[in-house]
Amino acid sequence: MSDVLLAARGIAFRYDDREVLAGVDLAVREGELAVLLGPNGAGKSTLLKILSGLLAPRSGEVSLLGKPPESYGRREMARLLSVVGQDPPLDFPMTVEEFVRLGRFPHRGFFGGTTPEDREQAERALGMTGLSPLKGRGLGKISAGERQRAMVARAICQGAKVMLLDEPTAFLDIFHRVAFYEIVSRLKEEYGVSAMVASHDLSFCAEYGERVFLLSAGRVMSSGRPDEVLTPENVREAYGVAVACDRNPATGAVRVTPLRRSETTRR
Amino acid sequence: MRRTSPILAVLLGAFLGAIALSVSTGPTAVSLRQVVDGLTANGWRGIPSDTGARVVLTLRLPRALLGALVGGALSSSGVAFQALLRNPLADPYILGVSGGAAVGALAALLLLPGDSFLPLPLCAFLGAALAASGVFLMARHRRGVSRERLILMGVVVGAFLNALIMLMVAFSPPGKIPGALYWLMGDLGLGTLPRVGVLLPYVAAGAGTLFLLSRGLDLLLLGDEPAFTSGLPVEKVKTAVYLTASLLAGSVVAVSGLIGFVGLIVPHGARVLVGSGHRRLLPAAFLLGGTFLILADVLSRTASPSGELPVGAVTALSGAPFFLYLLRRNGGKT
Repeated sequence: MSDVLLAARGIAFRYDDREVLAGVDLAVREGELAVLLGPNGAGKSTLLKILSGLLAPRSGEVSLLGKPPESYGRREMARLLSVVGQDPPLDFPMTVEEFVRLGRFPHRGFFGGTTPEDREQAERALGMTGLSPLKGRGLGKISAGERQRAMVARAICQGAKVMLLDEPTAFLDIFHRVAFYEIVSRLKEEYGVSAMVASHDLSFCAEYGERVFLLSAGRVMSSGRPDEVLTPENVREAYGVAVACDRNPATGAVRVTPLRRSETTRR
Repeated sequence: MRRTSPILAVLLGAFLGAIALSVSTGPTAVSLRQVVDGLTANGWRGIPSDTGARVVLTLRLPRALLGALVGGALSSSGVAFQALLRNPLADPYILGVSGGAAVGALAALLLLPGDSFLPLPLCAFLGAALAASGVFLMARHRRGVSRERLILMGVVVGAFLNALIMLMVAFSPPGKIPGALYWLMGDLGLGTLPRVGVLLPYVAAGAGTLFLLSRGLDLLLLGDEPAFTSGLPVEKVKTAVYLTASLLAGSVVAVSGLIGFVGLIVPHGARVLVGSGHRRLLPAAFLLGGTFLILADVLSRTASPSGELPVGAVTALSGAPFFLYLLRRNGGKT
């Protein structure tokens, strides 16, 4: 049994009068690829913000390596946990390489010089995400998918033990989706990185994820191995769509296929 | 990074060249030898008796140095405000500094007696400080300071102060109006060596602090959440940047009046030359801004035979075409 790196217990949160999370428990173990599923508005992004220390929960507690996020200094925490979120657009010129190198801040601080390791990590992150040929390009001059890969590269460059990723494949084509999950799997195997990916990609998650948390109406409705969570009943209850679940003959992973709408009702 | 050092060296050369040009430009020709002789005659102590040397040392040199400090400080402050607000249209005056300084200066100019114990620069500085801290306090809420509220509060406070300025000008005796307008348009003629000496520590401390915060400014460009998760103590850095950039703008406005355009456009010009990394951008913007304002001042002194033009008008008139060219030429690459 490997160690729990990131855990949440009884997390509740509300925006003014709208309840978003009503008691969420989860745990991410060392070297594990966990997937956070759930329909739009289920509270996935809010939960990731609470796990990353951006929001304080109304009740419940988060622990990162056994301590609450507030007990870490900002840079100390960023060395342990990195986040790929949905960045606002940037109105200033910046190259892909400059952008990725910003991920080294937790190691360099305000005054530290650029060490060979900083350069190496940036090169590695650019290489892993296939952005090396684009590193001199301006962020405003690349596609949405390339920008998304650049954000992943920045997080890799940060060198953290735990990565939280909020829909990192939203703008990616199937080639780059596969590439993304391969990168995360490689980080996991080679560097022992744990990742939690919020996604709507049921089949990709089943293929690559080791543990799935299905969030619905502010609670973890189901959690466990992909084949335990991704059942037609669970998917229908969470998303309100009818699906067929079978096995991918090539890999044995669960495969989720939507059925036509006629007999489904969305609650 | 390697390609940037030559650019900074060229900018430094231009900066020093502009100071030299400004010092040697004027209605009377003064040679360097005259100045050195004048100084050595006194053993490098005190003001020389030679008229030419006096003109250079008490009028032209302080004016050139003031232009360098004001142009550099406004540009650095503009860079900081643009990063803080993540807005390319931000400038040092966007959050009420200019309105506050103007109300303070006009109060000193129009309301206080000429021999008041409160000199104009101090009144202007106090006005700027009051307006900037007022905007900041009003924009604060539980979770910190949001950019949107800062801009909104800055615009509201600015509009209120502008109304005050109009009222003050409307009710002031006609004889005092030209002086007030001249201050509002910006004027480097107030430069004296002691004043430059008073200003220097503020500019050095402000520009130095911003430089130390460079990496924080880089991260602020990304937005609050990405900056936070990248390890930046976002609210602390925002407060420090806001106070420093306001202090920097307020202190130069106090001695030079409202010189526009420099703090808005020079940062963009400097970005075209060295990129958005603030470790290079801040020094580049300081040198470019200083150079630009000194040259604009030389132009304002020499362009019209009938007298000096307001330097604030010259900065925009001469600078706009140049920076349009620079931005259009390179805009496509970024």
